[in-house]
Amino acid sequence: MKKMVVLLLGLILLPGLLSTALAADKVNLYANITAIEPIMADFNAGQSAQEGIYTRISTSKYLATVLTEFSAGKLQADVLQGPLPILQMLKEKGVLTPYKSSSASGYPDWATGDDTIIQFGIEYVAPIYNKELVKPEDVPKTYMDLTDPKWYDKLVMPDPASHATTISWLIGLKEAKIFGDDAGWMKFVKGLAANKPMFVKSFGPSPAPIESGEKLIGISMPKYIITKAPAPLDWARVDTLLGTTRAMALAAKAPNPNGGKAFIDYWLSAQAMQLLADKVGEYVLTPGVFPPIDGVDKVKVIPIRQLSDEEIRHWGDEFQKIFYQ
Amino acid sequence: MDIRIHDLVRTYYSEGKQIRALDHVDLTIPANRIFTLLGPSGCGKTTLLRCIVGLEAPDDGEIYIGDELVFSKAKNIFVPPEQRGLGMVFQTYAIWPHMNVFDNVAYPLQTQKLAKEKIRERVSQALKFVQLEGFEKRPATKLSGGQQQRVALARALVAEPKVILFDEPLSNLDAKLREETRKELRSFLTELQITAIYVTHDRIEALALSDLIAVMRSGRIVEIGEPKKIYFNSDSQFVADFIGRANLIKGKVERLDGDHALFASEIGPVRDLNSQDIPVGQEAYLCVRPEFIRLSKDLEGAHNSYNGKVESLIFIGEAYEGEVRIGETLLTTTVDPTADFREGDTLAVSFDPDHCFLLTT
Amino acid sequence: MFKKPTLTTTLIIIVGFLTLCPVIMLLLGSFSKDFVSFGQFTTSKYVSAYTDPDFADILLNTVIFTVGSALHATLLALFLAYVNTRTDLPFKFIFKIISIIPMMIPHILFSASWVLLLNPSNGILNRLFMSLFETRDALFNVYSLKGMILVEGLLDLPIAYLIIAPAMSAFDVSLEESSKVCGASNWRTLFKVTLPVLRPAILASAILVIVRSLASFAVPSVIGMPGRIYVLSTHIYRNISSGFAADYGLAAAIGLSALGASITLIYIYRYLTAESGKFVTISSRGFKPTLIKLQKGKYPLLVIVGILSFVLILLPVIVLFYISMLPYSMPPSARAFSLMSWNNWIDVLKDPISLLSLKNSLFLGVVGATLGTILSIFVSYVIVKIRTTASGLLESLSFLSFSFPGIVIGVGFMWFFVRTPLYGTLTALLIGYIATYLPYGIRPLSSAFIQIHSTLEESSRVCGGTPFYTLRRVIIPLLIPGIVSGWILMASMFLRELTLSVVLSRPGTEVLAVQILRFAEDGLWGRLSALGIIMIFISSLLVILAAVLGKKFSKLEVVDR
Repeated sequence: MKKMVVLLLGLILLPGLLSTALAADKVNLYANITAIEPIMADFNAGQSAQEGIYTRISTSKYLATVLTEFSAGKLQADVLQGPLPILQMLKEKGVLTPYKSSSASGYPDWATGDDTIIQFGIEYVAPIYNKELVKPEDVPKTYMDLTDPKWYDKLVMPDPASHATTISWLIGLKEAKIFGDDAGWMKFVKGLAANKPMFVKSFGPSPAPIESGEKLIGISMPKYIITKAPAPLDWARVDTLLGTTRAMALAAKAPNPNGGKAFIDYWLSAQAMQLLADKVGEYVLTPGVFPPIDGVDKVKVIPIRQLSDEEIRHWGDEFQKIFYQ
Repeated sequence: MDIRIHDLVRTYYSEGKQIRALDHVDLTIPANRIFTLLGPSGCGKTTLLRCIVGLEAPDDGEIYIGDELVFSKAKNIFVPPEQRGLGMVFQTYAIWPHMNVFDNVAYPLQTQKLAKEKIRERVSQALKFVQLEGFEKRPATKLSGGQQQRVALARALVAEPKVILFDEPLSNLDAKLREETRKELRSFLTELQITAIYVTHDRIEALALSDLIAVMRSGRIVEIGEPKKIYFNSDSQFVADFIGRANLIKGKVERLDGDHALFASEIGPVRDLNSQDIPVGQEAYLCVRPEFIRLSKDLEGAHNSYNGKVESLIFIGEAYEGEVRIGETLLTTTVDPTADFREGDTLAVSFDPDHCFLLTT
Repeated sequence: MFKKPTLTTTLIIIVGFLTLCPVIMLLLGSFSKDFVSFGQFTTSKYVSAYTDPDFADILLNTVIFTVGSALHATLLALFLAYVNTRTDLPFKFIFKIISIIPMMIPHILFSASWVLLLNPSNGILNRLFMSLFETRDALFNVYSLKGMILVEGLLDLPIAYLIIAPAMSAFDVSLEESSKVCGASNWRTLFKVTLPVLRPAILASAILVIVRSLASFAVPSVIGMPGRIYVLSTHIYRNISSGFAADYGLAAAIGLSALGASITLIYIYRYLTAESGKFVTISSRGFKPTLIKLQKGKYPLLVIVGILSFVLILLPVIVLFYISMLPYSMPPSARAFSLMSWNNWIDVLKDPISLLSLKNSLFLGVVGATLGTILSIFVSYVIVKIRTTASGLLESLSFLSFSFPGIVIGVGFMWFFVRTPLYGTLTALLIGYIATYLPYGIRPLSSAFIQIHSTLEESSRVCGGTPFYTLRRVIIPLLIPGIVSGWILMASMFLRELTLSVVLSRPGTEVLAVQILRFAEDGLWGRLSALGIIMIFISSLLVILAAVLGKKFSKLEVVDR
């Protein structure tokens, strides 16, 4: 009996003991970003002293996880990456520390103004359609074209009542005066709602119904044209694209601060940003670097103002009233 | 090995009610006898058995098996069943369905980690004893009820226990098999010279098997005695009634005469045994067993003869079961199957003064 | 059997520790102003959670969804278990395996597969129906409560099956025989004797499915959200995902109603099966169930069972395989077949993280299920054989973290483990898995325990067997069907566990489901399906292993006769 107990305890604790021995001289990146393995591999190949590891935490759990670990003194991250609002909150809680990377020299001023948080990309949103099923003449040329009744029951988009980035995007359209005044914007929102779009939980599942032909068009991201190739996806050439910004910062209590700095320097470099654009289809802020998607180098891509959580909840409730009628 | 029980108490709680399964039981079970606990269901006999075996812990009292104290509330002793060295045959036999006959019987020896050779030898002895040679490989589920019963017996005996206990072991057998097995069991146990405790609610089983019978009721032992004593001359109305069919007739003691008494009853004056020395003037019951009531066409003998009318006669093979009325009192009786009586006949009813006895009310 | 109070206390301490810790953390969080477990006291989260005007509708949807899924899963499981254990239907072994396949499929994949089959625009089955009958109306719109119940019920079918089938096969046949002797027909016997005697197993399965579907997120999010049908778990998700500072305290406050519902159900279950003696069916006599001869009904029934298994279970798996061969998902066509390749499979098998997660999941599945089953044996023993108030407490404790909606309980475990040195290790995952999925072990084992007559155990004690010896030689062999069921349920659950893993897994401790979720978030359905099929394959191996070992340890031929 006693032997059994010892054996069982051993079985439970062994893996725990084994894995504590790991994790030295590594740079730990906390983020939620698609398919960045090529960049991590390139970093590991070039910087032999450091090994980058990627801890992927979904956006809805990001803040809770980081703050929980931080308050328990167990934050393993050296570099934190995420939507700007999240990094702002982390900065207020003292999780981040200032670091200015020289690699960001050519970035726009708004992206590098903060001493701690550097913005390096825009999660740009666009109407994405199935190029095999939508005739060229039917492809929307403006956002307002999405409200055409011919798209009734043919649309997919993340739930505008709850999905933070989608809510921000709708507000971004309003504040960028895409439709002239607020009345025009409201006409767009109501027209979109009238077409009864199918809601999914976030952008991740949004391209699947389009590529399979279940829906023809949707509010999604152009980067899927790269990551999901050869799926028959293309983006409607509207003249302005909007998106929340991606940002990164150094952790205040980084277990490996030098590694963290080296990683940020590398990440912001033209070389890494080129990889991010080429392999992941991301829109990056390095001048002259564009994802290999036709037309993206010509379109205007603007960052959406950072909305507070109160604002997002308020607008979520408003959109629920409009879209869930 | 004898078993001594002092002041045993066991209480259950069921649906908020308190049930005394054992109510201050004192009992000594003599060594190497067949001792039966008899009583109606719910009288506490099985609980007592389970307390002796150690499957239940009493709330109070002491139990000695031989000289070993196996349970004592005061001294905080509870020897678990596996260390009490007893054998038991369960009502359901509790043969393990996933083992064959050999493994079932060998189990008690395997728990003692005996050598394999030794185990085989003793199992085959035990199986021979219960006449199941050659059944070793038979799966337990492929046995008939009687065979299972014998496997259970072999299992209980194989480790040569000091005491063997039976919990209504025959109740799951059909009538004919029950009778045969009862005889077999009697001869096995007599041969073994072992202390056996036998729980049953069947009076015939108790009478046929036992050296001593303890009759229980509501958690108490009412009477202990040899089968004949209990049957012919019980001390208690409950026991007299329970141990066999009995006619109980109300009346008053009129006169004493040595062992006997003259009793003024509902059916008239009766001469009967008075082993309890019930004094003159006291109300009592007269107990007459049906098989001692004789019916005849003519009045005969001086004592205990009355006129009665046959109310019913039911043929049950070896006899008639009859009811006769004397005045207002209805008596049951057993009538010879060849007797030439009919319902409605008026006959002489009589019984021997030595075969009827008085009980306190 | 054991010193009862000590055993009960020890188990209450162990199980309480496992399940209370995260729940206490969540309670603290739900009363804290901040969203990181501790902070200033407030009841505002409860106020905002329960004054939400949508809450009543959501509760109604939740009740329909969970009860519907439980009915669906339990009825189907009863039918399949009856056919598989009690009749002489040919090819039973195939249907036995099919009945437990949905358990091995990641829920998100199974749901996605049904979307491809039954979405109203171009679902494969709907298209087929439309072209066959020349209609423009879809046969079945999966984005509906009906659709959610269909898919969730199928996903939970194995839980129901693995609880009901062992009980059915351990059934004391003399009960049925006596009914037939009394002149009752097969049908009457089924409804008047067989089903009532199986009541504990049927109730156990229904309750487990209700609790599970209450916590389920994959079906409500993949099928419910597009149909704009919200249930408790998606309602919680909506609450935490609007805004970047996800408020898990608020989520916990909403989740408490699920917890309350589950505990109530458990007490109802205990009340309904209070006289466990009534349901004892294994004794020594007539152990082996006889098979009912179907005679003329044999082939029609075979066709029914065959079609049912094919459409409900095999077809979605075939769809997965189809997707795994394609570069992107599209309805079947000549072009689709021309594009097929093994690329997704090659990508998955070359991906180091996928391989690492395979290794970790296998470890967690085998070791976790084994430890979990051992713990479950003791806990079920106390629950079934020692029916005291304390054992009732133990039973409720065992359900605690299981009945919290998945997206919340993971955070509870994180809040707890971050205070221990186990944070970020496989051990944390192992403990979390066992704590959360303990009912998967306890339920089948309890219904198996209920059927073992206590004299079988008592006779061993009287024969000189110590409690441990009795456990080893008598109880465990008789429990084998239950043990195998519990182990299979746990192992395949652990292999595809997502809700805890997604919070607790870190680089180095990646597990399969997390990898699957990543593929899903990136929309890589081809690789996702390939990895999913690999998972199904590994789970099947474990199931076969368990069945073979179970057969070896016991001469009771129950699992795979």
